[in-house]
Amino acid sequence: MARGKDTGEDYVAPLRRLIVSLIVILLVAIFLVWRIDNPRVERLRSEVIDTVIPPMDWVMTPVTGIAKLLQDFQSYQRIYEQNQDLRRELQRMRAWREAALQLEQENARLLDLNNVSLDPALTYVTGVVMADSGSPFRQSVLLNVGARDGIVDGWPTMDGIGLVGRISGVGQNTSRVMLLTDTSSRIPVTIQPSGQRAILAGDNSIYPLLEFLEETDAVRPGDRVITSGDGALFPADLLVGQVALGTDRRMRVRLAADYGRLEFLRVLRAPPTEQITDPGSLIVPVPPEGPALSFGLDDTPDGDDPDGAAPDAEAAAATGGSDG
Amino acid sequence: MAETAPPRLWLRHLVFVAFCLAIVFLQLLPLNTTPRLLPMPDLLLVFTCVWVIRRPDHVSVATVAFLFLLTDFVFHRPPGLMAALVVIATEALRARATSLRAASFGLEWLTAALAITAVTIGGRFALTIVMMPQAPLGLTLLQMVMTILAYPLAVAIAWSLFGISRPAPGEVNAFGQRL
Repeated sequence: MARGKDTGEDYVAPLRRLIVSLIVILLVAIFLVWRIDNPRVERLRSEVIDTVIPPMDWVMTPVTGIAKLLQDFQSYQRIYEQNQDLRRELQRMRAWREAALQLEQENARLLDLNNVSLDPALTYVTGVVMADSGSPFRQSVLLNVGARDGIVDGWPTMDGIGLVGRISGVGQNTSRVMLLTDTSSRIPVTIQPSGQRAILAGDNSIYPLLEFLEETDAVRPGDRVITSGDGALFPADLLVGQVALGTDRRMRVRLAADYGRLEFLRVLRAPPTEQITDPGSLIVPVPPEGPALSFGLDDTPDGDDPDGAAPDAEAAAATGGSDG
Repeated sequence: MAETAPPRLWLRHLVFVAFCLAIVFLQLLPLNTTPRLLPMPDLLLVFTCVWVIRRPDHVSVATVAFLFLLTDFVFHRPPGLMAALVVIATEALRARATSLRAASFGLEWLTAALAITAVTIGGRFALTIVMMPQAPLGLTLLQMVMTILAYPLAVAIAWSLFGISRPAPGEVNAFGQRL
């Protein structure tokens, strides 16, 4: 390329300026298209992630493993104290185990008495966490299961104990889980003993907020928080965590899921919910059937004719060729 | 003309792309899935600034546009917005690269800081115009400050790993052309 200061600069500079403006216009156009037709560009995003991330997996897994090993290695320094703590904890847990066994027997008896069968719809697909969002503004992880495994947008995701988030963005081989800590995460929940309804709103901190609480007095730190199933968004009665009072005197939730170690996640097969596939129809009412239908009828014969004619012509040509 | 270009220059383009992809890769590792108090600096942005100011001939516009569009998609940002802003900012830096060559490091840092601030504020402004929900302002500003503070560190890393430094006055490339 002619980059010399003395010659060539005269025609290179305007050309370069033109290319730069074209690139900027193209990028801004992508942004505007994304703003206008969000679902389609988000599908494109899923496809981009789907092609970019899985090839990196073979090197990502060992690097993550080694880094975690190093983190764990630091904790070996206080292994003796840890051992003592664990022994004490085990002692306490034995008592709990006894209580749990008794309760389980009682529960089984009561279920038997009432002839209850648990909901068989809640089966799950387990996925491995491949990558996180890579940005401090987004709290999400990428799973190695996708449309291929039947994952659908909006399904809840849990680790062994509590709710972790919901599926938001499905590619062929990967899917993204928006965590409860993400700023755009909103989940309807119930607070257990009092039965208060609230919305669990992520705010980029490890303790998400409880919003729209009717009676703050009826809720105490330590109360259980479970999903309420309002709005048919989520199955009801999934454990979320415990109420905690934040340092800013607002009600927050200490999540039951272990966010420090998200490795294997369960994606629950939930009943189907509203799918957002096109931008307008949720807000703008759908136009009346009549004209749309007649348009469709007008269009289809026009569109079909050339398609229909072409194979005939090809077939004729083929037969002609074989005859000759 | 492309045939006569020295292979070294293409190699250096490749070095920059590979280094940026390595940064993206490290940021994607699922090491810490809990929200942090201090956000990480935007490493990709700060290293792009270092390269564009110090060695503008090693980074083409297309590279910058491609890298930031890719990360817009992968990091779940509004696609195209950050890429467009960074292309504009790097072009502004590129135009000043020659005059910054003789300037003090403080002035260079200040120029980079202005570019980073412009990208951040421009992004928020554009999102406000199109009425998008935004990340908390405090977090954005904190990340901007972290990114600006990371600039000298990025300069040191780029210099020690890849020998990226400002060309001395009168330095020539493989063809004997002045840089």
